[in-house]
Parts: sequence; structure tokens; C-alpha cells
Amino acid sequence: MIELRDVTFVHQNGVKALDGVSLKIDAGETVAIVGENGAGKTTLVKHVTGLLKPASGTVLVDGEDTTLTSTAKLSRKVGVAFQNPDHQLFSESVEEEMAFGLRNFGFPPDLVEQRVTWGLELFGLGEYRKSSPLVLSGGEKKRLTLACILAWDPQVLILDEPTVGQDAIQKEKLAGTIRMLSASGKTVIVVSHDIEFLWPIQPRVVVMKAGRILGDGPASQIMRVKEMLDSARVAQPQLVDFYGRLASKPEAPFVDPLEARRWIEGVKPS
Amino acid sequence: MMWLSSGFIFRRGTSAYHRLDPRVKLLVSVLMFVTTLLVRTLYELAAVLLFMIALSAFATVLRRVARTMAFTALFSAFIFALNFVFTRNIETSLLYAARFVAIVVSTSLFFITTSPDELEQVMKTFRLPRDVIFAFVTAVRFIPVMFLDTIQIMDAQKSRGLELEKGNLLRRVRNMIPILIPLVVNSVVRSGELAEAMESRAYGAVPRPTSLVEYRTSLADKAVATAAVVAFALVAYSFYFVIPAQIL
Repeated sequence: MIELRDVTFVHQNGVKALDGVSLKIDAGETVAIVGENGAGKTTLVKHVTGLLKPASGTVLVDGEDTTLTSTAKLSRKVGVAFQNPDHQLFSESVEEEMAFGLRNFGFPPDLVEQRVTWGLELFGLGEYRKSSPLVLSGGEKKRLTLACILAWDPQVLILDEPTVGQDAIQKEKLAGTIRMLSASGKTVIVVSHDIEFLWPIQPRVVVMKAGRILGDGPASQIMRVKEMLDSARVAQPQLVDFYGRLASKPEAPFVDPLEARRWIEGVKPS
Repeated sequence: MMWLSSGFIFRRGTSAYHRLDPRVKLLVSVLMFVTTLLVRTLYELAAVLLFMIALSAFATVLRRVARTMAFTALFSAFIFALNFVFTRNIETSLLYAARFVAIVVSTSLFFITTSPDELEQVMKTFRLPRDVIFAFVTAVRFIPVMFLDTIQIMDAQKSRGLELEKGNLLRRVRNMIPILIPLVVNSVVRSGELAEAMESRAYGAVPRPTSLVEYRTSLADKAVATAAVVAFALVAYSFYFVIPAQIL
């Protein structure tokens, strides 16, 4: 579905944002891209959407070379919800905002109406249908941008830091939506620092550092490699960290987390 | 767009010109500006432009000044066309067009080598009201941020199927609406947040706040300022009394 072959990209200020990145993502996969700020995560996904063209190497989306097609055309296949929702909201009402993309792709009016209603209900935004998108809260704006993308049913969904500004309940809902999309055969790429959000989804994890891929594999394996995660400045999920520490104390009589913590710290329970 | 915009935005540099007192840099730019207004022939203007280019090279900002010139050339072509239509004189039209480039380069040279902090200090020496200085300097500081915002907004809208380069002129103008509205809204929101942040950090609490940096003019600054004034006086004198325009 998506293939990056030895992709290199250098920003105008001379910073090499991608350095010989090769990555293949099959249809229906859920992939998390993690790494510290400036690791090249957003640059990588911008190559998938065609917003950036590689200095060298090739990016193929559904067999199509991104250098030979426009972002607008590619976006029919690849929907991306950017980190800052304020960068895209402009319409008079929430429903108009959702209809914007659908109209750009030439959807007939009845289908536009149908998709708008579906998207707003899915993300709990039905009551704001006639409101201005600019008066929504940060979390609601974020959900609206996601609904806008899902409305035209792209094959690939890219979510750039989707949990920023979301409360615990909304994060759970978002995780549920990602699982649902994954189950329905969509390719989902999540760029996030929120390891605790990613862990229960159990995606394939790509760890990036300084424009290179340090590690790539199932979350259950990658998240155990502490040295690599430390090197990429990615936190280990608390649960993995916790069990990792317990493993070094096989004699620990696990009773409850607090008791276990005392064992980890070398204090025998009273 | 970013390529062009970088021709107007300050970036830290280590050249001797960067290290000059900002008031001296302002003086040099003002004198170059006035000189471009005084010139009467293309030859004189070419000499002034050459001096500016040499100064840009000395300040290690030649490439960025070249971008400024490339950007200005677009407007300058318009000025040339307009003048040519009304005067039917190629030389005069070229003079006005090139003068516009020179004016922009003279001011750009000051702004790309002077940090917003230095700009603030320069404005303080003119005893302008503090709010005016703050508003101006903040606006200058936010130019690169606005450019970055514009690019991010364009990316976001292109990812929703918006084709900016397609259609006739009217459609292209309409296509800018999804770019301009978020840009304006973000700027207004940001200015409101900035005002709150400034007030919460005691902005306006005292009428004369102290300054972290106090500029003292060095010997080199004084030498450059004197040289600039003398050179300007000589050039102005030679333009009007030594070399009559009709000879050139």
C-alpha cells in the first residue's frame, strides 16, 4: 500500500530530516511512528501525503509515485488529520466544515449530507452541527478534523498527534475508533508521543531518531527494547516498565502494585 | 514562498556588520535609502546598487539579499510597465523600477542583520511610546511565524482536496479563503493570548521598565558612522556639483 524506498529529505535550512528511510506498510496495518521532536516523523508522513517530495528515493502510495501526482489527488486515498486543528477550520458551521473535503472530491449532495451526519454522530459532535467550528473546544476541534477526514473514506488515515488536548474518555474513544478503522481494513498511521495511548492499541511501532528508523516491529516487542527507546527519547509504557522491573526480582511475592514497588526498591515488606 | 520570505527575515550572523551598533546600521541604511532617491541616472543607481551588493557580501547576507531582489523584481516589473505606458521612455521607466529594488534592498539590509531586540533598542533611542515599540517589534517577530502558519494551513487544506493552482483567476482567489480565514483567526487568537501572557508578566506595571541590554557605541561604530556620513556627503556633492547628469 505504502512504500518508501531509501528516501532522503533535506530542509531548506540544511537539516537532513529523512536519511535513507525505507519502510513498507501493507493495507490494513495500524502503524505508530514514535520518536522525539525533530526525529522526522511528520516529515515522513508528509511524504506519504505528497506534501513533501523526496530529495532522493521513491515514495509509492497504492503503486502511485507521489512525485508524479498532486497532494489533492493523493488525499482522496490518504487522509491526514494534522496536529493543530486551527490550521484547517474556516467554515461558517461545523457541517460546512465537514462538507468542504467531500465537495472538493465531487461527492453528490445527498451523499455529502449522509456522510456529514455519520461523521458528526460518530464523534459526538451532532449538537454543534450549526455552530461555528471556531467556537468549539480544543478537543472538539480535534475530533472535528478527524471526522472531516473520515467523511470521504480514504484508504489510509494519518493522525498526527491525535491525543493532544483530549481527555481520558476521548482518548479511549479515539483508540476505539482506530481499532474499528483497523478492523474495517483501513491503513492507519498514528504519529504520537503518547505511548500510554498507543500501547493498548498494540500497533506496529516504528521508532525514529534523527531522520532514521531505529526500530520497527510489533509494539509488544519494540516497547521492551529499553535501550533503543531511551536512545530515541521515547518513554516505555508504564506497564512494560513495571513488569520489566519485576522480572529482575523473581523472588518477589507479587501482592499488589505498592507491595511490588517496595520489592523493586529493595525494601522487604513488613 | 519560504525561499523568498527568508530574504526579509532576521537570522543571527557573526559578521562584523552584524556586530555593529544597530543605530549605526540604521544610519547606513537610511543614507543608502536617501542616496537612491537622489540619483538621477541609471549609472548612478547602478553604482549605489553595486555598493549595496558589496556591503551585503561583507555582511555575509548576499544570498538572502539576492532573494529580496528577486522578490522585489516582481513588483519592479510592474512599476516599469506602468511607467513605460505613461512616459514611453525606457530609461526613466528602468530608473524607477531599479530605484524601487534599491530602496527595498537598503531597508532589507537593515532588517536582516538586526534582531528584533536590537530593533527595540533603536526605537527606544527615538523615545517612541513603549506600546508602539512593543507592537512594532512583536509584529516583526511574528512574520516568520505567520509564514510557517501559512504553509501549515496550505498543507492542511491541500490534504482535504483543495487545489490552489487550478481554475481561473476568480476561482484561485476564492481558493485562498480556506487559507486566509484560519490565518487571520489564528493571528487574532495568538495576539489575545500574547496580551494576556504579557499582562500576567507585569507588562505596564511601571512606566519606565529597566532594560537587559544597554548599547554603548564602540570606536568601530563611531568610525563606521562617520565614514558613512562623509561618504554620503561626498556622493551627494559629486552627483550634483561634480558630475552633471547630462555627461553620463
